[in-house]
Parts: sequence; structure tokens; C-alpha cells
Amino acid sequence: MRKNEQIFFRIDWPLLVGILLLMMLGILTVYSVAYTPKAPSIFDFSQKYGKQLFWVSISLFFGFIILLIDSSIYRKYAEIIYFSTLVLLVLVLFMPPVNGARAWLGIGSLGIQPAEFAKVSTSLLLAKWVDMTNMKLQGPRTVFEYLAIIFIPSLFIALQPDAGTLLVFTSFFFVMYREGISFDPVILYALKFFPNLKFKTTWLGTHFIPFLFFLLIMSVTSLYLSNVNTDFFGVLLSGTTALSLFISILGLLIFGVVLLLGYRRQRAKHLIILVGSYLFTLLVILSVTFVFNHVAKPHQKNRIELVLGLKEDPNGTDYNRNRAMAAVGSGGVIGKGYKNASISSVRSNHVPESETDFIFCPFAEEWGFIGAVVLLSTYLFVLFRIFIIAERQRGPFFRAYAYAVGVIMFYHFAINIGMNIGLSPVIGIPLPFMSYGGSSMMAFSIMVFILLKLDSQRYDFLR
Amino acid sequence: MNLEGRRYLVYFLVAFTGVFYLFRLFYMQILDGSWAARASQISERKREVIPPRGVVLDRNGKQVVSNKTSYNIMMIESKITHLDTAAFAALIGWDKQKVIDRFKEIRIKEGYYKNSATGKTTSNYRKDRPYPFVKEISPDEMLRIAPKLSKFPGFYEEPTHTRFYPYPYAANIFGYLNEVIKEEVEKDPFYRPGMNIGRAGIERSYENVFRGKKGVRFVVTNANNNDISTSSKNSFDTLAVPSPTIQLGLDIDLQAYGELLMSNKRGCIVAIEPATGEILAMVSAPSYDPNMLSGRKNIKENYPTLIADSSLPLFARPLQAEYPPGSIFKLVQALICLQENKIAPNTSFPCNKSLVGCHGHPTAGSVMDAIKYSCNPYFYAAVKRVIEPGKNPNINQDAAIGLDNWHAYMTSFGLGIKPKIDIDAQAQRSGLIPNSAYYNKYLGKGNWSFSTIRSISIGQGEIKMTPIQMANIAAIIANRGWYYTPHFVKKIGKNGPLDAYKTKHFTKVNARHFEPIIDGMWRVVHESGGTGKEAQLKEIVVCGKTGTVQNGPNRENHSVFIAFAPRENPKIALAVFVENAGAGGSFAAPIAGLMIEKYLKKVVTNEAKEKKIINTKILR
Repeated sequence: MRKNEQIFFRIDWPLLVGILLLMMLGILTVYSVAYTPKAPSIFDFSQKYGKQLFWVSISLFFGFIILLIDSSIYRKYAEIIYFSTLVLLVLVLFMPPVNGARAWLGIGSLGIQPAEFAKVSTSLLLAKWVDMTNMKLQGPRTVFEYLAIIFIPSLFIALQPDAGTLLVFTSFFFVMYREGISFDPVILYALKFFPNLKFKTTWLGTHFIPFLFFLLIMSVTSLYLSNVNTDFFGVLLSGTTALSLFISILGLLIFGVVLLLGYRRQRAKHLIILVGSYLFTLLVILSVTFVFNHVAKPHQKNRIELVLGLKEDPNGTDYNRNRAMAAVGSGGVIGKGYKNASISSVRSNHVPESETDFIFCPFAEEWGFIGAVVLLSTYLFVLFRIFIIAERQRGPFFRAYAYAVGVIMFYHFAINIGMNIGLSPVIGIPLPFMSYGGSSMMAFSIMVFILLKLDSQRYDFLR
Repeated sequence: MNLEGRRYLVYFLVAFTGVFYLFRLFYMQILDGSWAARASQISERKREVIPPRGVVLDRNGKQVVSNKTSYNIMMIESKITHLDTAAFAALIGWDKQKVIDRFKEIRIKEGYYKNSATGKTTSNYRKDRPYPFVKEISPDEMLRIAPKLSKFPGFYEEPTHTRFYPYPYAANIFGYLNEVIKEEVEKDPFYRPGMNIGRAGIERSYENVFRGKKGVRFVVTNANNNDISTSSKNSFDTLAVPSPTIQLGLDIDLQAYGELLMSNKRGCIVAIEPATGEILAMVSAPSYDPNMLSGRKNIKENYPTLIADSSLPLFARPLQAEYPPGSIFKLVQALICLQENKIAPNTSFPCNKSLVGCHGHPTAGSVMDAIKYSCNPYFYAAVKRVIEPGKNPNINQDAAIGLDNWHAYMTSFGLGIKPKIDIDAQAQRSGLIPNSAYYNKYLGKGNWSFSTIRSISIGQGEIKMTPIQMANIAAIIANRGWYYTPHFVKKIGKNGPLDAYKTKHFTKVNARHFEPIIDGMWRVVHESGGTGKEAQLKEIVVCGKTGTVQNGPNRENHSVFIAFAPRENPKIALAVFVENAGAGGSFAAPIAGLMIEKYLKKVVTNEAKEKKIINTKILR
């Protein structure tokens, strides 16, 4: 078996080292946060740090096994893996609820969360589908197949309910976009009912997914800033004004870049798109703000504010975020020192869930801005490494899978850290490889090790 | 379609998010201090460190007031997990129902808060706050309870301090402590609900010394408001400054002896060191053991009993009881007559019982003998010359001039005015020395003359003195004409008494006039026919004066004696006042003698006399 001997030389060591570094930081942070003088040993398996160490060991063991197994099975059995996970997702709905959600299969600390593993199986099936789709023969059916792959597990996850994981499933749209699954056929199909309109392709249909996300992000940002006064370099501006100003400056910059560096032939087209996008963005910002402030009824407004955490709600989500931000902010430049998280440790209990979803908060409190820079850099390094790996794959299956891993991790990274620093709503999803918890640790490890294995065998396929 | 180019969208998103987050972190952690301030606000609590209350020594360095550690069992309801009420009740020695009621009691005591906006009433009680569940458990009992307490989560012990009095005497001097009331908390930022404040005696008058200076400590707390660490790094911490030790002029052995002698009697003994004005003993009988009012449990139990007691143990008689002084007043009268030059030491008046009643004795040929025999007509005649100076032909107006002149003398002896002793001012009485305005008010202007008010010449009638004033008269005579305001506290830490007690007050009587009076007082005790021979001691020269205070018909007279000793360079001046004990010579004088001997010699030689005094029961 020469292949197996070579496998450890062929795998992408930078990515593996990055992941191992994150796992190590995770264990150290869980140890610091959940430390209790009664059980000082990190190997005490009755404590969270002992358990986390155990989860990491198990995950690495699974990872090792994955590296030894021939990777062709993932493509071959993608459907079986996908449907097995679906069965688990259905089964979990019959379990007793824990903290109001039926997310746990099994008992106590030995339970698993099928939703975490559904990310892996969906990624695999999606990748296989990409591989099987003839991109040139797309029709409305193609789009619906993809939507079905994504939304069937999402539906069961929504029933648990687990809003965080549900949101993460929208990351698969980016995979579709990258692989060229276009919403064009759907839009063209819809346009059939307007006989006078004749289009060959639509810009909107092709770029429907980024457009959708852009719309969503701009709307949420507008809502965040609708009632806030921002200190914009010493000048007090209303949030909406500041945002519009920011968009205008950014637009001018891109305009300048395109003018100077853009392809000469396509310059006019790009500039038209740019100006159009700019005007559209302003329109979105102003209309969302206007609707929120003047059209929405008080109870609707109230609800939106609560969900986004715009309202002081000391007993609800805002409590947690507010405290987490205080903890992060109090870290300063060099932090308070290891095991000195006076706000966010489990002992102090000011930030609930500080060992799971809010683990960034004690890390930033203990290690300060310097630590945060190191951690963020590690994540950015891992993410870019995954996308670089994705782009160097020869086959659509490999690339689509790698992209799925990348965007899922990016979602987790962006939302999780975002909620610790007040830039995203509080959505309960773990920080990959760091948050305490067995299911997410194992799911992310399996996901990344499959990627490492596929990458190591990239020359063996489709040569 | 350029699918390859679409990767840049993802790259851009990742990079933009990363950079944007780093900028945000830079802003939050480095530029904007408000999050760090919020963190301090969340986790840091200012804890006040209250130093232990100051201890008190007597003049010989014996600790007479100290602190005792006891324990409260604290309760945090949110930490209680299925409490076995019966087992817990058995552990703390309560019955089960009392435990159940105690939970309700704590809740009710915290009161309710009405939100003015919503109109909702919510309890101030917080499940995550500690409350004292059982108060003031003795260390011995805690030793038994503590090991088993850990079986009841939500309960823990916390030390507290209460006063302990090693000598069960001098309760009226020390006073007691009790919980501050709402108004005191609002008035003085030092106090917090639940703290103690001096309620009487020196605990009250030296409250600002005893309480020391509070320190401030910033601690890090968890979300349940429990300390998780003391942040010693914080430079805003200030140390608590404990009270300096307070040393009293009191001799606790003398005090104890005085209280023993006064057992089953009603009255007072006040002893002063003439040279300093320090109060050596202040016995108020009947009294109580100061430990009875130490700690809230004791106060709750004993205060109602003490306040209801008909013998008034809480009443500080030496300061608050105003008695007619009787014949001891003649000493002051004689001094004023000599100073006014109305008599000379060898002036003689016949014992004319038609003027005022007297007992059988030879004619007093001098003021010394008049004091020795306590001759009433002598002082009637002598004081008449002062009150009727002959400056106005109208007898009434002449008496007014004479009386006011006389009143000024009395004031210089500290009579008729509050003594301003270092004990709560409200508890001190001024006594009464009438002046012309007083009689004009009660009898009408022009309606009175010396003959109307003649009984003041022998210390009866309107004259009222407190026992401390009586003792001070003895001290003034011992000093030959001056006094320091009597006071309890001799030293505050390394400093002497308060400035108010460092000023010598001189009487309006010249020092040379005191010798004949002192000679008279010597004769009272040492010559045959003297009224106070019972005060005589073997090796100590005692100068004294008896008083027998008439107390209305059908009531036994009060027995009074003031004295100082030794005659030269006096060390102790005292007043003894025993209610309803008969003649001054028969009861107050022997007590005075015993007290003097006890103080100067430390041992009492006449045990028979001592035994007889102790065993005499006047109080029923």
C-alpha cells in the first residue's frame, strides 16, 4: 500500500497544523474558563476540560481513520450518508427536549447532535450533485434538486428548533453560486408568464445568490443603524447617514479602481453595474430605514428590535451579548492573563455559555487584542487555506465539497465572533474547534479530515 | 460564464470580515474604554471594611469592654437544593415550624418596592442574596454546627462581632449598642442597615472614636454577587483604621465593690479623682449586667424586661436623678459666707431651734463646729446675711439682689447647670439652684424674701443636685477651690482626654476660705460629736460631711455623705447617696469609708461593717 504510506506526506500540513492549533487553544480556553480548584487536573474527565480533551482525542482518532480509508467511498455513498443523517434528524425530534430544543440524540454528555453531522452529509451530497449536473443543461428542475438537498435537512433542523444551524445551511448557496448553479432558469420560467418580455439570460438570475445576501446584509445593517447615533471620527452622525456615507466612499474607491485598473473593454459595463449597485444600495438602506421607522407597527418594530438585540433586554439575548462585549472590551491590549477572565469565566458566571458559544469572549478577555489578533489570523489562515485547497482541485466534487467546508466554517466564524463583539445577532452556533462540545468538534473534524484526505488523493482521480 | 472569478467574491467576504472584525476589536479593546468600564461595573463591587469596634481599658489597664466573635448562619435561597427542614431544624436547635416561619419572616422584613411606572409591587427580597438566617451563635455552638452545615447547600456561617464585658458592672457608664435606624443611615454615610451604633453611655458619646474609619476594598464578584477574588491590584483600596484604645479613669475594682455595697439598695456612689476630674466609679443602684444588652438576641430578650422593671435599672441615677442635697449643701453655703465676709471662721451663732429645727448638740462656736454638728440654725443665720445684704431698703428687692449674687457663686461650683460629662448629653440633668427670676415666676415678684425661701440655706426646699454634682463639690473642696469637669475617658489612644476636660474651672471662693471648711469636715469624721464618725478609717485621714435629706412625711430620709481623702493631697473625692436609708451618718458614711479604703489601700479592714452594709436590704 504505497498510497497509504505516502498519504501523510501528501496531506496539507499547513491546514492540519492550523486546525490542531485551534483545538489546542480551545482546550486551554475551556480549561481556563471552567477551571475549578476542586479538580485541577486537565485530565479530570468529570470536568468540561477533561471531556473536551476526550472529544478532541476521539475526533483526531476518527480523523486518522478517515486518512486511512479510501476517499472514493464519500462520493459513492453520499446518498446513503445523507439519508442516514436524515433518519437521525427525524429520530431526534422524538427525544425529550433539552433547553427547549430536541437537538440531542442519546443520554447526557454522551449524546450527539445530528444537526452538526447533517452539515457534513449535506456537503457530500451537494458535492456529488454538482459533479453529476451538466451545467450546460440547467433547467428549473436542477435548481429545485439543489434546493431540496439543502432544505430537507433544514426543515427537520427547523423543527428542533435550531435557528443557528438552519442559518448555517444557507451557506450552501455560495457553493451553488461558485459552481455555477444559476437561478436563471427559474427566473426565465417565471418570465414566461410575461409574454412581452424576452431575455436570454438575466444578470439577476445569474448573481441571484450574492444579490440575495447583499440585500439581506444591507437590510440588517440598516436596521442596526436606524436608531443609533454613531461617533464617526468625532462627528456625531445618525447611523443611516454614516452608513450611506460609508457606502458612497467605498463606491467612489471601487469606481476609481475600476477606472484605473479595469479591463478597458468591459469598463463601461462595469461602471454601469457599479453605479446601478450603488444607487440600489442607497435605495435599500433608505427604504428599510423608512419602513422600519415609519411604516412598521410598534409591535412589529418591537419584535425586530428584540431579535436583532437592538433593545435593552437584560433578561434576554441582549444580556448575554452586552456582558460578552464588556468582557471582550475589558481585555485591553494584552489581556487579563490566563485563568483571569473575571467576567466570562464559569466561576464568575457573568457571561452564560462562555465555554460553548461564547468561548471567544473569555479568550479575548484573557489574551487581549494581541490574543484576538492571533486567533483571528489563525482562523483566516485556515479559511483561506481551505479555499486555496478548494480551488486547486481538479474535479467538481472535490471543489464543491471543499467550498462547502470553507463556507460553513466561515459562517460559524463570522456569526460566532460577530455576536461576541456586537456585530451580529446572538445566534447559538459554536466556534469551530474551540467551543466546548463533542458533536461540533467531531463534525468539524470529520469534515476537515475528509477534505484533507480528498486533497491528498486529488492526483489519483481524473488524471 | 467566468466561474473562476467568482472565488474572489468569497475571498473578499472572508478578508473583509476578518479585517472588519480586527478593526472592531481594536476599537473595543484599545480605543474605547467604555466596555472595560462596563466590565468593572458588572464584576467589581465596592466592599466596605468595617474595623472592629474600639476596646476600653480601665485606669489600671484592665480590659473592661471587648469584642466577642459570634456567628450568623447565612442563607442564599437560590443555592438551596431540597432542604431537609426537619434535619436542619434539629441541627440549629429550632423546631421545624420556626424554620419555615423564619423564611417568611426574612422575606417580610425586606419589604416591598412599588414601581411607580407600572404600579407593580415587587419584593425587595432577592433569592440570590445572602441573609442572616440564625443570628449570633456562640463559637462553642458553631463548633458543633459547622461540620454538618455543609450538608445543607445554601447555608454557610459568617463571623460577626458583639460586645463582651469581662466585668459585669458599670452598665450605665458603658451603655450599649443597637442596630442603626433608617434616619441614622440617611444622615450619616458611615452607616449601612444592619450596622450597630452606640445607644447610651460612652458607646454613644464616643461613637465617632469607637467606630474607627471604614476602609474600602474593591472585589471581583460573580453574577450571584459573591466574591470570587479580592483585586489587590486596585489602587483605590483604602485600609480600615481601627479605633484607638480608649482608657477610662474608671477603676473597675472600685466600681465592682461599690456595686456590691449598693446591692439591694437604691442610690448612687460617685467617686472622682480631684486632681484630674477623672471619674473613678459611678455606681447606680440597682443596675444590670451590661452583657444583658450585648447583641441583638439579648437586646430583644432583655430590653423589655429592663425597661419594665420598677426599680429602673436603665436609669443612670448619678447623672439623671435630682435630689435635694441636704446638709452637705452647708459646705458650699459656709464657703460663700466666708468669701462674702459675712462670717469669719470663728463666728458663732446660737442653735436657735425656733428659726429652724435641729438635733441636740452643743453650741457651735465656729464654722468648723457648725459643720461638725451640722447645725441648722447656724446656717440659717449665716446665709441670711448673704441673701439679705442690706443693699436695698425693700426686703424683697434686697433678697433678690442677695439671691442672685449667691446664685452666681453656686454656678461657679457647677451647680444648677449641666455638668457636660462625656456621656450622652440628654442623659444629664442640671439640678436646680433657684435665682430671683425663678421665685418671681413661681411666687410672684415682691412676694418673697429670705424667710420665704429659708430652707435653701440647709439644702432643702427647691435645691436639687445630681449625685455627680455632689461628688464634684467634694472634689472642689479637696482641690481648695477648682475643678476639672468630671469625665470618664482618660486617654484616647496616645492622646489625653478631650480638650473640654483640660480646662480648670475656678470657683468664686478664694482658696484660703477652704481650710476652715476642710477642718470642719475633718471634725465631722474624727471628733467626738461629729455626725460622720462611721466613715473613720485607721490610717487614712477622711474629711466628710453628712446629709440627711427629708423626704416628705411617712417616708424614710435619704442618707447622704460626701467626702475626700487623704486630707492633704487628696486622691479620691466621693458622694454616696442611699435612698430611704435614714441619717447620713448611719449609712452613707460607712459606705464612703469602705470605698475610700478600698481605693487607697485595696483591702478593706472592717469586714463586719462591710458585711452589714452588703446584707442590708432597703429595696423591696
